[in-house]
Amino acid sequence: MISFLVLLGIVVCFSAILALALNFQWGLGGMVNFGLAGFYTLGAYTCALLILKGGANTFVAMLGAMATVAAACALTALVTLRVTEEDYFAIVTLGVGEMLRLVALNEDWLTKGALGLSGIPRPLGDVIPSEIYVYFLLALSIALLLGTLWVLNVLARSPFGRIVRALREDDVVAATLGKNVLWARVRVFAIGGAFIGLAGALHAFYYQYIDPTQFTNIVIAYAFMAVIAGGRGAHAGAIWGAAAVMVLLEGSRFLKDVIPWLDSDRLAAIRIIIIGVGLILLLVFRPQGFLREHRLQVDLVTATMRNR
Amino acid sequence: MSRITRRTMLKSAAALGAPLAFPYLNLAHAQGAPIPIGVGVPLTGNAGAYGPDMAEAAKRTAAKINAAGGVLGRKLELFIEDSESSAAVAANLTQKFINVHKAQSCVGYWGTPEGMSSRPIAVQNKVVLMVSSAANAITEGDTQGYVWRFQMKATDWGIVISRAAIKLGFKSVGVLGLQNAFVLPIMKVFEERMKEAGRQVVDSLIYNPEQPSYRAEVERIFGKKPEAVYCFGLLPDFVSIIKEVYRGGFESKVVALSIMADAEGKFVQAVGNQVAEGIRHFQPMPDVAAPGYKKFVQLMGAPADRVFLFPPNTHDQISITALAMERAKSPMAVDWSKQIITVGNGPGQEVDDVVDALKLVREGKPINFQGAGSTCDFTPNGDQLGRGMGHWIIKGGKSVFVEYQKP
Repeated sequence: MISFLVLLGIVVCFSAILALALNFQWGLGGMVNFGLAGFYTLGAYTCALLILKGGANTFVAMLGAMATVAAACALTALVTLRVTEEDYFAIVTLGVGEMLRLVALNEDWLTKGALGLSGIPRPLGDVIPSEIYVYFLLALSIALLLGTLWVLNVLARSPFGRIVRALREDDVVAATLGKNVLWARVRVFAIGGAFIGLAGALHAFYYQYIDPTQFTNIVIAYAFMAVIAGGRGAHAGAIWGAAAVMVLLEGSRFLKDVIPWLDSDRLAAIRIIIIGVGLILLLVFRPQGFLREHRLQVDLVTATMRNR
Repeated sequence: MSRITRRTMLKSAAALGAPLAFPYLNLAHAQGAPIPIGVGVPLTGNAGAYGPDMAEAAKRTAAKINAAGGVLGRKLELFIEDSESSAAVAANLTQKFINVHKAQSCVGYWGTPEGMSSRPIAVQNKVVLMVSSAANAITEGDTQGYVWRFQMKATDWGIVISRAAIKLGFKSVGVLGLQNAFVLPIMKVFEERMKEAGRQVVDSLIYNPEQPSYRAEVERIFGKKPEAVYCFGLLPDFVSIIKEVYRGGFESKVVALSIMADAEGKFVQAVGNQVAEGIRHFQPMPDVAAPGYKKFVQLMGAPADRVFLFPPNTHDQISITALAMERAKSPMAVDWSKQIITVGNGPGQEVDDVVDALKLVREGKPINFQGAGSTCDFTPNGDQLGRGMGHWIIKGGKSVFVEYQKP
């Protein structure tokens, strides 16, 4: 049971990094990314291919995946936002995401198509004994998750973070104040993309086998569920949101072991209902999510003193 | 307003997790404790139609073995989970079977992605994985004797289907294949064999799943007017394709797989008798005349003429697990995985009932187990031999059996 919880912990970590990336792009920057599954695919495949075909070190491959997805996101944002309004941006991301998935499915010479890539090596997999490897992978995932959280928190609380929030609330006001709207948005989308790439790389390391069926649009649904449950804009909340979604998804499998009349056929049918009801209850009782977005607050007393 | 803090979240998470963990805090391999077996089958998703009968077959087979005294004096305990027809979910399930339930045998695994994602986990943990999936890649490379296929390998499907095409006298054929790991090897072998026999392959293309329309693909292949068009894919895409063929008024004969053109009767329901008329379909199937299969149908409580495609494989997976454990006198896969060929291929007394076979093994006699889905003979790398393919033609909305062929 302990090792299963450890493995589940790793899945929660890379789901949480994905949710954090989406939270940065959408929660903070207001840029809807419906192409998340495609960019996630790009991250996982880039990492795997750099190792398997390029002979790269696993850590280099991870950085390569981050850089590639960041570049792809930057390009998507740059090309799209110059010619369309932001509502259409969501549709373009959907198209780009689907395109990336179809490339993974059809370019057999590179991605082995529907068969997928197997035997993906793991970071320090040949150094650390296999009995304790999962603990190392969990520690690495937690470190990367905390690193992501720290970077995104620093960015969100910096002057750049204030521009990003201003763009989300009203880009015309931001532009009037002399802010470069396009450039800021491209940066937001690219930074988010880098962390989507990181999540993709961890996905490839965890499963050691990737194929296009693992990157269907349900990935987008789970990431949005995590961000909404956690509280849009709240980075730490996105982690709790991702954990809650995984507990609902995987934890609900254990119900049949504790409720005797529930067999696997019945559980398969009602599991999705349980997950749906869980989310509805959450939105009814906590529509703002688990945590609230971090705001710089000035103590009322200090503010009054200063104004005197 | 009360705020949810990190502490309250942690407390509630721990409170929620603790009771769920209690049932697993036992020693699964203690003397007399049941022997756990993980069963991962698709109960939902695009292969959801096939899982429930596989699960039922697993339950009835285990119950039969348990009623006759179990294995090594212990009962078999099944943990049946829904793989949702997904590679990632199947991998998580395999981890659950191995790490939570301490299973040394994981069976079921209908689709190729499910098998492929679980394969490294089984090999790393030295646990046996038994799949029903067809793609050659499942058993390729070094599996260390832990991965076993209870299905015809994809290239063998191509051999049988091409032989039948030559026998049917088709001079020219077109091929439409879904972008899918088990379809591509079938297509490759089929086209090679047809060309070798001097038949013309007018055109062949691979299409993507879940397309809104297949008109362009249908017009390209059927527009060249081959005598027959061979379609390899799954039910949802085939329904769209065949509607386009009917609408376009094309006259080429259509040949497909049974998971497309029969799918437990769902195909005819979706397109109607008139559109389905004359379509031929092929699928690996058990030898329905074999005594092992007849006993299986009785075990399932089904009519004698019922053709089960996948559940007999699940029956055989559990039976072979039980027999190999009994032969090795150990529930650990590291020991009994080496006995799979001994009990499956023989040499020894041919026996088609798992309870009789267990009795013989306990008496120390060599056996050659004949399963419900096949004769349960294997190559050393885990591929199954001795399973054949059925050939049917749809007439008046019913699939009429034509012949049974082995590769």
